[in-house]
Amino acid sequence: MKLTNVLKMTAAAGAILGAQAAYADVTFGALYPFSGQLALLGEESARGLELAVDEINASGGVQGEQIVLERGDAVDNNQAIGEARRLISREGVKAIFGSYSSSRSIAASQVAELSGIPYFELGAVADEVTGRGLQYLFRVNPTAEDMADTIINMIVDKVAPAAGKAPGDLKIGIIYEDSSYGTSVSGHEQRLGAAAGLNIVTSLAYPASTVDMSSIVLDLKQREIDVVLQTSYQNDSVLFLQQSHEAGFAPLAIIGGGGGYSTQPTADAVGHDIIDGVLNADFTQYVVNKEFTPGIDDFLAAYQEKYGTEPRSGHSLTNYVGAMAVLQSLNEADGFDADTIIEAVSAIDIPEGTTAAGYGVKFGENNQNERARMMGLQWQDGKLVTVYPDDAAAAELRSRN
Amino acid sequence: MDVFLQVVVNGLLLGGLFAITSVGLTLIFGIVKVVNFAHGEFLMIGMYATFLISTKLGLHPYAAVAAVVPLLFVLGMLTQKLLIEPLMSARNHDIQIFATVGLSTALINLALLLFGADIATTPAYGLRTAIEIGPIRMLVGQIVMFGVATALVIGLHFFLQRTRSGRGIRAVAQNRAAAQLMGINVSRVYMITFGLGAACVGLAACLVAPLYPTSPGIGTYFVLTAFVVVVLGGLGSIGGAFLGAMIIGLIDSLSGFYIGSDMREVAVFGVFLLILILRPQGLFGGRLKLSHVS
Amino acid sequence: MTDQTNTPNAKTVKRTTGAIALAALLAAIFITPVVVDDQFVYHIFITICIFAGLSTAWNIVGGFAGQLSLGHAIFYGIGAYVGIMLTNIGISPWIGMFAGAAIAAAVAAIISYPCFRLHGPFFALSTIALLEVFRVLALHFRDFTGGATGMMIPLNIGWEWMVFRERLPALIIAFGMMCFILAVAWWIRSHRLGFQLVATRERESAARAAGVGTVKVRLFAVAISAALTAMMGTFHGMYLTFIEPESAFSLSFSIQIAMFALIGGLGTVFGPLLGAVLLVPLTEFARGALGAEAIGLHGFVYGAVLVLVVIFVPNGLMGLVGRWFSAREATSGTQAAEVATPEETRTFTPPEPGEEIVRVRNLNKHFGGLHVTNDVSFTLREGEILGLIGPNGAGKTTLFNMISGFLEADSGTVEVKGPDGKWHSPTNPADFATLGVGRTFQIVQPFAAMTVEENIMVGAFHRYPHVDDARAAARRTAEKMGLGPYLHAEASSLTIGGLKRLEVARVMAMEPRVLLLDEVMAGINQSDVRRAIDLMLSIRDEGVSIIAIEHVMQAVMSLSDHVIVLSSGEVIAEGKPRTVVEDPQVIEAYLGKEFTHA
Repeated sequence: MKLTNVLKMTAAAGAILGAQAAYADVTFGALYPFSGQLALLGEESARGLELAVDEINASGGVQGEQIVLERGDAVDNNQAIGEARRLISREGVKAIFGSYSSSRSIAASQVAELSGIPYFELGAVADEVTGRGLQYLFRVNPTAEDMADTIINMIVDKVAPAAGKAPGDLKIGIIYEDSSYGTSVSGHEQRLGAAAGLNIVTSLAYPASTVDMSSIVLDLKQREIDVVLQTSYQNDSVLFLQQSHEAGFAPLAIIGGGGGYSTQPTADAVGHDIIDGVLNADFTQYVVNKEFTPGIDDFLAAYQEKYGTEPRSGHSLTNYVGAMAVLQSLNEADGFDADTIIEAVSAIDIPEGTTAAGYGVKFGENNQNERARMMGLQWQDGKLVTVYPDDAAAAELRSRN
Repeated sequence: MDVFLQVVVNGLLLGGLFAITSVGLTLIFGIVKVVNFAHGEFLMIGMYATFLISTKLGLHPYAAVAAVVPLLFVLGMLTQKLLIEPLMSARNHDIQIFATVGLSTALINLALLLFGADIATTPAYGLRTAIEIGPIRMLVGQIVMFGVATALVIGLHFFLQRTRSGRGIRAVAQNRAAAQLMGINVSRVYMITFGLGAACVGLAACLVAPLYPTSPGIGTYFVLTAFVVVVLGGLGSIGGAFLGAMIIGLIDSLSGFYIGSDMREVAVFGVFLLILILRPQGLFGGRLKLSHVS
Repeated sequence: MTDQTNTPNAKTVKRTTGAIALAALLAAIFITPVVVDDQFVYHIFITICIFAGLSTAWNIVGGFAGQLSLGHAIFYGIGAYVGIMLTNIGISPWIGMFAGAAIAAAVAAIISYPCFRLHGPFFALSTIALLEVFRVLALHFRDFTGGATGMMIPLNIGWEWMVFRERLPALIIAFGMMCFILAVAWWIRSHRLGFQLVATRERESAARAAGVGTVKVRLFAVAISAALTAMMGTFHGMYLTFIEPESAFSLSFSIQIAMFALIGGLGTVFGPLLGAVLLVPLTEFARGALGAEAIGLHGFVYGAVLVLVVIFVPNGLMGLVGRWFSAREATSGTQAAEVATPEETRTFTPPEPGEEIVRVRNLNKHFGGLHVTNDVSFTLREGEILGLIGPNGAGKTTLFNMISGFLEADSGTVEVKGPDGKWHSPTNPADFATLGVGRTFQIVQPFAAMTVEENIMVGAFHRYPHVDDARAAARRTAEKMGLGPYLHAEASSLTIGGLKRLEVARVMAMEPRVLLLDEVMAGINQSDVRRAIDLMLSIRDEGVSIIAIEHVMQAVMSLSDHVIVLSSGEVIAEGKPRTVVEDPQVIEAYLGKEFTHA
């Protein structure tokens, strides 16, 4: 045992100390959780970045240089910091792209900020990612606030008229898993909902690992809630949808906030008949008005070719669009200095309806992409179909009766 | 009032779930005296086995009992023989805990490796159909689970009280050294007890799988609750575990409804800590055997 | 005799080698990253320092005190949260660190006090439950803790804020804190507290009899451990610049801390350091090599390795190192010959009985329906040897337990005259020990993991708080008891006669005024009995009063000034040895009714 330890140590030390990779090209870091519990969607997100890099390299690279992506595995916060340090000091990356998980992003971007290396967030949604006044951090993807915004607007514009009621007459109940994701989305739902004059009756938190949601269902049923907003992962989405069905609780609308509501296994587990008509807000998905999302078919084809399957979620597309916008702008710049990169990126101005995700790119306050937005979606016949806003919609919103 | 009744019924049905997942642990924790952190992972394995049998072979999940229970029995015996027994003589008994923690980690990740992080859903075959009795609704599967949990508890009680093997197990539980002197093969009794405990979990898995989505991490939720139930009921007391499960089910359901679902764990673990401090032998346990004054 | 000098020599050599190895290891931890000068290597070594520090702090409770905590992240989280909260209102983490440590120590003492009544797995389970409670509370009280999204610190650079652009200062702090924690752990283990902790872990009742406040020392240990853990938590929080409940109050993090200590060597001072030095890089490497292969593979290997280590190296890496040393030592032979022949038997002259020193009045005790002690009264005088005899089940040991504080009587009083000349009514073993009442146990209770010398030192610490004085006292006592040659042998290697002597030696090292001996002669051979008799007489000659439970009649008769006969919980006879054995009631109690009428 001890001997093997020593051998492994030596090997590890060799791997760390030796072989400073010789590169003539430009290196960027790809910092995602590639192992651990978040690995599935971390990997999915990274694929979007890889496809963008492949596409850029195929068309001649940036400023004539081929891009090399160096992966970093941000399995937990301490590791995210370690990997960010490794990418910056050992691999000499000019910028880091990442990172799917908000907490990893927050931890790693503090390191990048202190090292003066640009950090491009392509997928994490928490407010705190951009809320810290960092100079070198840019976020291209829509946020938790955008998600809540889409949900509230969808209620006002679509759900209430379809039910023949004034938005203020609907009783709204918010339930959310109590980690960072659920807390931040539901917080915005409450704030924006109140601002839009909605009647939010209750707001309930629960741990995502729960095996029983009957108390919550009962509570909502007793309050005669019309619209349920749930922000959840897979397990709790399934539990809630099943247990509401079994308890005979049938509100006018159930609206998810990404997470578990966007995955096919959830629909399969709940049953296509039960989930039919359930609404959702998330990154741009694949059943969408393709006029509004030019290039989405090319993306799907490239994905299919490289990975041999269809995308498992919209994360890859969102990361792809974000990475494309940043990399294309770098092509116009001269050199890979942190300040040069920032200057180039700050000048990006891509209008809506011209990217594969539909939304445009322009960085505003706190370096957040102010044109980013979430799409309103609905489960129709076992598929997640874009129904909101109208210019992106692939189908009409169906009433759930 | 109807709502209160429904909350109570939900709590009792949840108690049925906790009872059936905890009875096996009473045997293992109460008799072999091993803190088996991999208990939840045994359940997870059973649930995946049920999932595979019912989706690949198209059988009713309850039919999987015939395969899953023996599978878990063997798994339990092997765990005792290969993992726990070598550590029984170790100076520090606490390291058994690390062994089972290691086993638990390995099994969770093995499931992640084989099945991925997505949930697996076992076909329900009508077990998710709700039955209405007056204002109360419950699921067929939940009622079956409650019934089987009750039958299992009574069956185990009789097994331990009335049969030769059962008496051997109780003798070993009370005084290992004396039992050995009386000619009981302690090592074998431990293996059988561990196997039985695991087999109970196998039975539970077949009943739980059609009602709840299966995922690699499902066991971690159950294992802590199971320990709470077992300690509450009193070590090695089968009937105590059943009552303990009902109490925890009710606390869970009532606190979830009246206090808030995010604080349920505080309520459940708070009760657990109170019991440990005020009445460490458990609500229904016999004499205290925790400390040993010469 | 040569053996005797050989062992300490080997020990010195071992110690020097150990010190050099340790210094080299510590130097390597600090110098490697500085020489390589790479941010990632810095990060790895900072992580090593953090984990080594946390595991060493954990080991004070988990290893020394044997209380397996799987909730140590509670204290880590408290340190991190307090540090970051205070930083956000403009107070330097250097101050926050101590604030966090103080809060963590207080929390630790409060939650451990009730938990320390629980042993083994129950303590582990309750720490897990508490950890969950803390995590949920941190999630719930959003205004206070920032809820699930956690808290961040402003990126103010500089020593006073513990945030740096370059890595060297962070390494200096982490390394310094690790060394500090190691020093504290080493200090504890080599001083009174450490001896008392290990004694408590090994045999709680024997430790209490030796005057150790077992709950008190454990509380000390857990408070120190929590404070050190919290300080490291504050630093790690500043290093991460960001904390959230999921990672601050994490069960898997707690398990990892404990695991490094376990793999390094539970209860050893430097085991946790060794564990962290080897495992942190290995984990990082495995994650890099296996993590990308497939989801879960890395975790599977990690779990499997843990299982294998527990099965095949249960004593940890330090155990392996230790075995290597003891293999060399074995040649010097620890089992020396029996000590010199017993001294010549002295002629016995009963001295004048002195003042009363122990008064027992009307003691009653019931176990369920059984009346084990029925209205027992007697008196012990200074310099007297009081023999307590009676058939099996007469209630002798129960009586002993009541007059040494281990058992509370249903009614009746036990009074002891203190050195101040006043009468006291002590109620627990510690009070009895303070008044100078020492006892042995019928079933010997050595501290198996300690050497003979250390066993006796546990007793000696009662009088001598300083380790050198205690060691000297222990050696004196060992010589007197004929245990001199075995000073450095593990207690578990002694014969039964040796263990009985060790039992007496430990009590004698407490320099008691009253000695309660519970069948020290049972099961030992004839020559040992004679030596034991001499021993007791010489003890009495030093002015110690003795109550002895004995079955060996020869001993009772030749030793006792006064004899009490107990049968079925009642005193049936007392007086001079000669008169008592002729009492018909006594003969009946021992031999049955027909003999009295014969």
